Amino acid sequence: MSHPPSWMTHLFTARVWRRCLLLASLLFATPTWAAEILLTAAEDGPGVQAFVQALGQKRPEDRVTFTPLKDLPAPAHLPSTVRLILLDLKSLDWRLQDNQGPPTLVLRISRLQARQHLGHSVPPRISLLWSDPPLERQLRLIADILPQARRIGVLYGIDSEFLLHELRQHATSMGLEIVSQPWDNINDSRPLQTLFKSSDVLLGLDDPQLYNPKTAKNLLLSSYARQLPLIGPNAGFVKAGSLASTYSDQSDWLDVLDRLLDHSPSSWPRSLYPEHFKVVGNPQVARSLGIEQVDEAAAAVRLAEGEKRP
Amino acid sequence: MYLGPPPRSSLVLALLFSGPLLADDLFLDSQPLPQVLTATRLKQSAAAVPGSMTVIDSELIKASGARDITELLRLVPGMMVGYTTGNQAAVNYHGTNASDARRMQVLIDGRSVYRAGLATVDWSDIPVAMEDIERIEVFRGPNTVSYGANALMAVVNILTRSPANSQGTRMKITQGERGINDYYASQGVGWETGNLRLSVSGQQDDGFDSDALGADRRDSRRLNRFSLAVSQTLNQQQSIDWQFNAKEGSNQRPYTYKPVFDGITEGGTNSDVTAKDYAGSLRWNFDFSPEHSLYIQGSAQQWDRRQIWKACDAKVSFSPELTQLWQLNSNYAEKLARHMDNYTSAPPGSAAEQALANQVLDQWKNGGGKDSVCGNIDQSTRESRYDLELQDTLSLTDSLRLVSGMNYRYDRADSDTYFNGTLDDNTWRLFGHLEWRASEHWLLQGGAMFEDTRLSGNSLTPRVAVNYLINPRHGLRAVYSEAIRSPDMFENNVNWSYRVTNLSSPAYGQNSGQYFVKTRGPGNLDKERMRSRELGYNGFFADIGLNVDVKLFYDEITDMISEPLRNNQYIASNANSSRFTGTETQLDWRVSASDRLRLTYAYVDASATNPLDQQQTARNSGSAGWLREWGQGWSSALFYYGDDALNQYRFERVDMRVAKRIALGKANLELAGMLQQRLDNQPTTWADNNYDQRHVLYFSAELEF
Repeated sequence: MSHPPSWMTHLFTARVWRRCLLLASLLFATPTWAAEILLTAAEDGPGVQAFVQALGQKRPEDRVTFTPLKDLPAPAHLPSTVRLILLDLKSLDWRLQDNQGPPTLVLRISRLQARQHLGHSVPPRISLLWSDPPLERQLRLIADILPQARRIGVLYGIDSEFLLHELRQHATSMGLEIVSQPWDNINDSRPLQTLFKSSDVLLGLDDPQLYNPKTAKNLLLSSYARQLPLIGPNAGFVKAGSLASTYSDQSDWLDVLDRLLDHSPSSWPRSLYPEHFKVVGNPQVARSLGIEQVDEAAAAVRLAEGEKRP
Repeated sequence: MYLGPPPRSSLVLALLFSGPLLADDLFLDSQPLPQVLTATRLKQSAAAVPGSMTVIDSELIKASGARDITELLRLVPGMMVGYTTGNQAAVNYHGTNASDARRMQVLIDGRSVYRAGLATVDWSDIPVAMEDIERIEVFRGPNTVSYGANALMAVVNILTRSPANSQGTRMKITQGERGINDYYASQGVGWETGNLRLSVSGQQDDGFDSDALGADRRDSRRLNRFSLAVSQTLNQQQSIDWQFNAKEGSNQRPYTYKPVFDGITEGGTNSDVTAKDYAGSLRWNFDFSPEHSLYIQGSAQQWDRRQIWKACDAKVSFSPELTQLWQLNSNYAEKLARHMDNYTSAPPGSAAEQALANQVLDQWKNGGGKDSVCGNIDQSTRESRYDLELQDTLSLTDSLRLVSGMNYRYDRADSDTYFNGTLDDNTWRLFGHLEWRASEHWLLQGGAMFEDTRLSGNSLTPRVAVNYLINPRHGLRAVYSEAIRSPDMFENNVNWSYRVTNLSSPAYGQNSGQYFVKTRGPGNLDKERMRSRELGYNGFFADIGLNVDVKLFYDEITDMISEPLRNNQYIASNANSSRFTGTETQLDWRVSASDRLRLTYAYVDASATNPLDQQQTARNSGSAGWLREWGQGWSSALFYYGDDALNQYRFERVDMRVAKRIALGKANLELAGMLQQRLDNQPTTWADNNYDQRHVLYFSAELEF
């Protein structure tokens, strides 16, 4: 007597079939193509989930998973074939406890944060992917939208002072002058006034000690009162009243990761600014300052072309 | 190995499809930043301003070396800066009467300092120190829609430094020739949610040296000021700013009292004024959203002018019969009084006039009426103003913005001499102004103001402007505006007579006497009306750092009240009119990082039915300036100012300031020398305003830490 197959049988068949497929793919796929990509962060959330999901879609051949930091063993206990992607500083601290461990890409870390956490050295098998807009790119943005600006005013703090040397080098090669001004006490705005007097435009360094919700109002209102545009420090500030900035969003980072993951970890750079980026401008601020509105897409294309032919 | 960027095509493609910022993007800064430069806070760019504007920034203020706001106004094209005495500046835009400047609105941080009763601006008594001024914005042209009635010919908007930008300690002293002796000290402190600035300052100088006859000119001044400004953030959306300012000082006035009757030789020596000004204001700012903000500002001000002088005249001046006769027929009374000795009996007139005249003649000849009697004249005034304003800014769309509001003002003037007691007035005002950016190139702005004043009725004034922006930095504009000036209490409602007290000998049984001359304002004066037409261009050549503004104007004032304020025979009317046409240019050129050139020029053609209203117009006037930073702390500024004829007198002056900045640890010391050299040999505005030397030298030292 024969019975029609029950729904249980269907489920069982599907599961077996899927496992066979997985096995087959593991057997026949080249090892460099099928990678175990493990993302982690101390805190989970919709943003993290959306990113993990998007990376999974971007790399259907790989096994992309997210495990909260608290559920992970020490880094040395992870298989060395895993590609580890860290999404916050707590996970970096966790990763740093072992010199050995799987090859690691660190996202959402700025130059300032890296210096605070790591000092000058980058441990082996760790690649730092910078979250702050590259200084050279920001300078090129200034040159692109404000070609007459020569004196670039830069506020810096103890944490961001180390960026000045590099900034000056880029500026000199572009024929620009960096006018730097320390700002140690954010409750004292005299350094701002001193800087404003001798600058054509301000460039914000992504230093949260200087540029934060508390300082935003005074910084933006007083520079606007002097008709001085601010470039940067990041995309968030543009909405607050900065004129423009370059930035890389999730889709840019997915492209960057996609390319890196295509290669063997041994070829990963120690640190990297994303080559994929966008430009954001504040049209109302531009209009009020008598500046042409920033054509975001065209400016980004010009900057990208400039980076190809430095 | 470093991985080079990916193939260009894919990059370009990715960039082309760059979308808007994603709200929950893991890689975009999630800091909850407030939107600071909102649609309601952002102003029009220079090329899009619906009119002509001159901004005197802090760099110019400092470089000019000016000790008074009025001297800074020489940097504004078309501004006519003159002096009645050394401590009484008379400033008019384009012109009108040289002795009374009453057609310009003057604001300090949004508070009008136009005197409530006498409708003049006492520039020297404004309780604000030059060192506290951040910048001065001069709107050249009528704009009652934005600034209220009396913004008839121009608006001078003085903006003080925000307390947040005044931190630390500043001390400054200035000393030099002509008795110049000024001081300034300020302290700024900040805390978590607010800032405060406290400053004290003072000024002293001798004014002009000699009058037309070579005698000493009595017009020196001495004053002290106190100022407190506080800004406090209440929360993300609300903040308050409040200020308190006070000033006390004395202004010398020459003794100008002339006895009506011949043969009186006694008299006083001065009619000096003690001036005290107080002002307080409170402004509450509320940002509902980036598209909607509102403020409410309340202010109270008081102007105290204490002026008592000794007056001597013939006893008959206080004759009740002569007073009656004046009230009956002032011409008849004046004719009689001026020629008392020529009459043996009353001149021809009505029976009543002749009867009184005979009595007066009898008093003159037989009753000791010729005897000299002295007493005190008290011309003191106290004026107050309370003002409440509400202004709402609403950004309806990205290209449409509405500014609207209402204002209530209460003015009171208290003077026995001018008003025989107290007089007050209420003013209500409603205003609305719409800015519409029709396209990338066209900008339409218009508005209207309705004003109702208890003493002089209501009025509606419109204003409309079209700007064509060739690009964001270059704009053409066409503006039509109407404006009004309400007659002030003095012009319309004066009840002017002098009571002389403490008489040296009793006159007609009294120790005090009412001087027989009495003047009354008509009480039914209408508002002055201005119609202004303007074509202009404003451009910024970014590659060479040059800013240019040119304007052509045609302004008419009708129903003009142009009779001078005199206490004998003041017959005010709306019978006059004036017309001003011409052109103005303003050029500001940052030649290099260390050089700045600035030029202004105005050609003004004035014609008026009353010749007095053509007095204070220089057909050609202007200024030229060169500011330079020499390095190593040295800086210099050279300015030229010229008027070809202001009240018939030429004015040409070169000012030079040389300064050296010295760093003393964390402190900064600036030493500066200032030389003003007159190039002409003429008096200043009036024949009585002369200096012995054509140059003046003064020095200042300023310490900041």
